[in-house]
Amino acid sequence: MSARSNRSRLPRISTGLWYGYLALIIAFLMTPLLSLIIASFDSGQTFSLPFEFTLEWYRNALTSTSVQSAVDSTIRISVPVTILSTVIGTAGAIAYTRYSFPGREYFKIVALLPIFFPLILLGLGMSMWASVTGLGYGIVPAIVGETVWISPIVMFVVSISALGVDPNLEEAARDLGADTLTIYKDVLLPLIANGIVSGGIFAFVLSWNNYYIVSYLKGSEITITTWIHGRMTQGFTPVVPALASMIFYVSLLLLLVAVVMELRSET
Amino acid sequence: MSVREFVRSKVPAAIDRPGRRLASASPLGPPGGLMLPLLALLAFMFVGPIVAIVLFSVQTENVISLSVADWTLEAYREIVQGTLSGEGVYGEVTLNTIVISALTTVVAFVVSYPAAYALATKVRRFKLPILIALIIPLFTSVNIRVYGWVLFLINDGVFDLLAGSVGLNAPSIIYTRSAVVLGTVYVYLPYMLFPIYLSISTIDESLLEAASDLGAGRTKQFVDVILPLSKPGVIIGSLFVFVLSLGAEVEAELLGGGTIYTAASNISYSFGYSQNWPLGSAQAVGLLLITTVCGVVILRTIDLTEIASRGGSR
Repeated sequence: MSARSNRSRLPRISTGLWYGYLALIIAFLMTPLLSLIIASFDSGQTFSLPFEFTLEWYRNALTSTSVQSAVDSTIRISVPVTILSTVIGTAGAIAYTRYSFPGREYFKIVALLPIFFPLILLGLGMSMWASVTGLGYGIVPAIVGETVWISPIVMFVVSISALGVDPNLEEAARDLGADTLTIYKDVLLPLIANGIVSGGIFAFVLSWNNYYIVSYLKGSEITITTWIHGRMTQGFTPVVPALASMIFYVSLLLLLVAVVMELRSET
Repeated sequence: MSVREFVRSKVPAAIDRPGRRLASASPLGPPGGLMLPLLALLAFMFVGPIVAIVLFSVQTENVISLSVADWTLEAYREIVQGTLSGEGVYGEVTLNTIVISALTTVVAFVVSYPAAYALATKVRRFKLPILIALIIPLFTSVNIRVYGWVLFLINDGVFDLLAGSVGLNAPSIIYTRSAVVLGTVYVYLPYMLFPIYLSISTIDESLLEAASDLGAGRTKQFVDVILPLSKPGVIIGSLFVFVLSLGAEVEAELLGGGTIYTAASNISYSFGYSQNWPLGSAQAVGLLLITTVCGVVILRTIDLTEIASRGGSR
């Protein structure tokens, strides 16, 4: 078998090539984000060469009153959305993963279907629905609208960790004399806590970054993403990349926390 | 291979089966109460809006009339006729939308498959950082990401900065259909990559060992084992990318620079500037049908138990 010695060497080179390919994909995925960050540090009033470093746009973004009020409305939307969709999504995940009942698979399909809808479709439908039903536009409709899209995502994330928990645990706890409340409080919820926390962080980050749904339901409120969208369609202002970069930094940080939590729940 | 994985590979039937014996009378109480909030929410703000889109598509003005006698198929007639005759904007919009979505799906597949394959079978070290890097864009506003591409591609943008520093001078593709496709491939690539990655990860390694023992080379193993078994992931990913890119509006708006119209941008135009809700709704119904069918197919194929047991830990 002379091919053997060749083979042991070949995989090492080919593994390097596979890593190289993945690095290219990651570079592609990072290109616009890095472009944004580069632009946010450039001193020009219009983005152009030569590049000169400045922090001025960050200062402008942080002190602008329109940005502050956009941050304010975004928080008033995303905090309730996070709480609501974490509770609703977790309840759905527990129903789906810890029970067997007729129609269980149909429940999954119905509950997760909003994830697969283009957001513009959801936003438009919700906008007309809000007008027809008298729900109207503003903070509350935006909260309801985003919760429809984000709760299923939380359910998905929590389901993944809840499916990893032994299905006989509840039985065992009951045999040992625990009542329903105790089983939730001391057995099930602690076991899926990491999944719930990472689901909650996903919910917050997604709500914070949501554009389509909020833009159709916000009414006269201006959120960060709609503020950015308004400015970016009017030509270049360096405050936009600065603000967008700051949002990206925060999202990145939260995402890292969420991933670590989700991983801890798996091991 | 951890002990858990070893055991699983030996006795898959005992652990992995989706229909694990869940108690129907669970000590947690009946499941109805847990499902109710989600189902009520979806009935109100998901089913309701869909009904609104369908109802508005047959109205004559921006007000809903519930009497069938007032309904009209005028909006549908306008769209179908416009598309067939190629007159007006519909022919172009339909063509643009289909070309962009189809191209996006094909390109995303070609780019993702090797990456998903590498991630599932070749990558052992640095797996977590790589996975994180791949999901970061999903959690950044689509607005912000597409705007980042604009900054990269515009004249005197980041691309010119980089190209200029090595003495290159290439014309920018911004405000063309290619730029829009670049944007949609970028935005929806992870939706192709992860389903394929998960389906390749779930392939039992002993199958490959068996194939190798029977004399199959690497290429043959790939063609006869991995490729067919990753088909569900490819189908899910393709449907996902196709459907989501049908809804691409920001990409078309910012990277197409107002010259490339897609179904989504046309729909939002009907609602925004021209205030013709029935016309916008009729176009949205087409999108709605495709989306619902694809969504149900995807969800029937996805096995959460499978994802939970294999997805993250390998």
